[in-house]
Amino acid sequence: MKKENTISTMKMMNGNEAVARGAFEAGVKVASGFPGTPSTEVMDYTQQRYPDIYCEWSTNEKVGLEVAIGASFAGYRSLAVMKTVGLHVAADALGGAAGSQINGGLVLVVGDDVGRIAGDDYNDVRHYGNMFNIPVLEPSDSQEAKDLMIKAFEISEEYSTPVILKITSVICKTTSGVIIDENYTYEVKCRVKYPVSFSKVIMTTMMMNAKGSKHPKLVKCFNDFPAHIKRLASDCNDFDINKLELKGKKIGVITAGTPYFYTKEVLHDASILKLGLVMPLPEKLIRELAQHVEKLYVIEDGHDIMEKNIKDLGISVIGKELFPKFPEMMRFTPDIIEEKLVPDAPKRAVMEGIPFRLPVSCAGCSHLFISQILRKHKIKAASDVTCGLIGCFPHMEAYQLQKCMGSSIALAHGFNVATNHKENFVAMIGDGGFWATGINGLMNLIFNDSRSTTIIVDNSCLAMTGGQHVASSEFGFNYKPENKLEIAKVCEAIGVKDIVTVDAYEFENLEKAILNAVNANTNSVVIVQKPCVTKFKLPKGDAYSIDQDLCTQCRKCINIGCLAIESKKAKDGKVEIVINEDLCVGCGLCSTACKFDAIKS
Amino acid sequence: MQDTGKNIIIAGVGGQGILLFSNLLSKYYMKLGYELKISDVIGLGQRGGGVESHFRYSNKPVLSPFIKAGDVDYLLSFEQTETLRYLHCMKDDGVIFSSTFELSTSSVNTRLEKDMPESKTELIKSSGKKTFIIDPDENKSSDFDISKMMNIVMLAFYAELRGYSHDEMIQIVKESVPEKFIEGNIKAYEKGIVIARAQLA
Repeated sequence: MKKENTISTMKMMNGNEAVARGAFEAGVKVASGFPGTPSTEVMDYTQQRYPDIYCEWSTNEKVGLEVAIGASFAGYRSLAVMKTVGLHVAADALGGAAGSQINGGLVLVVGDDVGRIAGDDYNDVRHYGNMFNIPVLEPSDSQEAKDLMIKAFEISEEYSTPVILKITSVICKTTSGVIIDENYTYEVKCRVKYPVSFSKVIMTTMMMNAKGSKHPKLVKCFNDFPAHIKRLASDCNDFDINKLELKGKKIGVITAGTPYFYTKEVLHDASILKLGLVMPLPEKLIRELAQHVEKLYVIEDGHDIMEKNIKDLGISVIGKELFPKFPEMMRFTPDIIEEKLVPDAPKRAVMEGIPFRLPVSCAGCSHLFISQILRKHKIKAASDVTCGLIGCFPHMEAYQLQKCMGSSIALAHGFNVATNHKENFVAMIGDGGFWATGINGLMNLIFNDSRSTTIIVDNSCLAMTGGQHVASSEFGFNYKPENKLEIAKVCEAIGVKDIVTVDAYEFENLEKAILNAVNANTNSVVIVQKPCVTKFKLPKGDAYSIDQDLCTQCRKCINIGCLAIESKKAKDGKVEIVINEDLCVGCGLCSTACKFDAIKS
Repeated sequence: MQDTGKNIIIAGVGGQGILLFSNLLSKYYMKLGYELKISDVIGLGQRGGGVESHFRYSNKPVLSPFIKAGDVDYLLSFEQTETLRYLHCMKDDGVIFSSTFELSTSSVNTRLEKDMPESKTELIKSSGKKTFIIDPDENKSSDFDISKMMNIVMLAFYAELRGYSHDEMIQIVKESVPEKFIEGNIKAYEKGIVIARAQLA
């Protein structure tokens, strides 16, 4: 809304920051969700900058989305933030909201890990757009991230639908100018249009002319959702966020997100249809471009979704046959477009033989202690999604099984019932994963009369995404000491017989506790406590060093996987195993692994 | 001739202050009225993973957040294995600044792969580009910790080479870093000027 006393200034913002600003300008009342790279900071910025907006990190994505749906029904604009992998957890909630009556705008801000930067599989949130028939918007820079956030709420209310704002690892971590009004005053938007909002089950029953569907009581709750989306598909041909730039007739490109800028950078004479709304597609604009050019390409990051949808319209486009997707391509770059579409483009390749950096745990991480004990005693275990999953990589070899967030307890239970509990297959889970969905696994194994050992790594936060609070943290947006959940008490209430709590740095105690639990013939939980060294900046102890005269280079210490222990070539070419004193925190784990007494404080 | 804009890659490993470097530089160019796009690529590891920042300033709107290989004017790298990853991205007349600091990679540490047999510093020097090498061990100082402040040392070197105002740059540093780190940062900056002048002479 333009006001008389507008002061427009240009601010540098990354995509996450711009989305938060968009939420503020859209008059959002409630923001909920679950941390996940790359979109975690959307919530962090919203909470820090805009105290008028109620913010919460929910226990998991599904809960987060349900909170936002409830707030939306109350009439208030609400947003749920998560990564695409998190939306898999929340998908049932989204299916329930899709096609239902929307009062206050409901927007999901979902981060796609384009380029596999944070290590996910290559997910693409737009599949949910197709599956649930809901609109998806995609910005190309920070300015658009802010603008499309506002547009998303308008679409949500006008067409009665949840809307997905797709952001990517590139958008989230790219900083560019955003024009904002310094004098903008926050105004909560509230709209209650529908007295009821039901999942599509109610509506589809009526659409099939089920008995009694004409009854006024039923008609009152009918929402003609296919008609809303049809209207949007037609209207979006005139949306200014879908821009048709007609230039040369040789090459036409349909694109969205940052690939729009890669295209502009490389193909100066191409005609381009740049989509801000990637679902539904503006059919009229696509046909206009198709008629204008000799060859029509689709340049989209992620899966070939626009390409397939365009082909479904009967329009011929060139996409993945020229630009093969993951794993052949991590993400689009200007280089790839140049290589394929610019004749005689120079070829440039990265130098061969540069060693790869596998992820390594921070020096002093409690996970290193657990990995070390599991390996030392050849205990088979499932890892959860935590910083500890680094223990699954080939340089660590501490775990045999690892899947998704919150899974390890149920995975271990499944293994144990299948093998008649012959060996105790252990589950390791972080505090975040435990509260997210792991707690369900624990309840499940108890009432199904199973037996298992669970190691819960309590580092007081969700470390992997930068240290957000969980239910058992002693800080947080809405933290009160009396509301802090105790992991041990909850485990006890669930029915776990044997619960011990140990400090991670007390190596011998920890070793004993894990061995006792594994060998006991009962359900057990070992809670391993140590706040995250990076998040809480724990005071450092004296650094350790390796006595080169005693060191036999057996590499037992280096196999711990600590960032501070390095294999270095000295100036004379001789290889030495050394401890980087800038990185060492003095936890002493490496000294427990050395049989030759070479490592000392 | 007026500077219409440049493409810069800032590289290193987590914890070396790459994002602070691009933040400081962005403030300088914003004051000059340039348009900017800065794209940070951060890996999975919280510490010790590769970090790269694509920094583009221009007197016209910047399009791609990523710099195309072959379009890099300046590479500033705080870790020499990381320097090697970007040599092919340089323009013919591109300039490289590289620290000789090296954080050994986990895959070499655990013998999943062999390290390169050649000296990495020599590989960088023989790239055929204008190259400035800074050895943190040779430039140790009791006034500041060069292992943590190579970013500021290189900022000063870069500013000296480009003929930028050190006073303005120092002012930006003062405004941007926490109070207790200002003094150390200024010492690092001054050291950077000294190193630059010696190498440029």
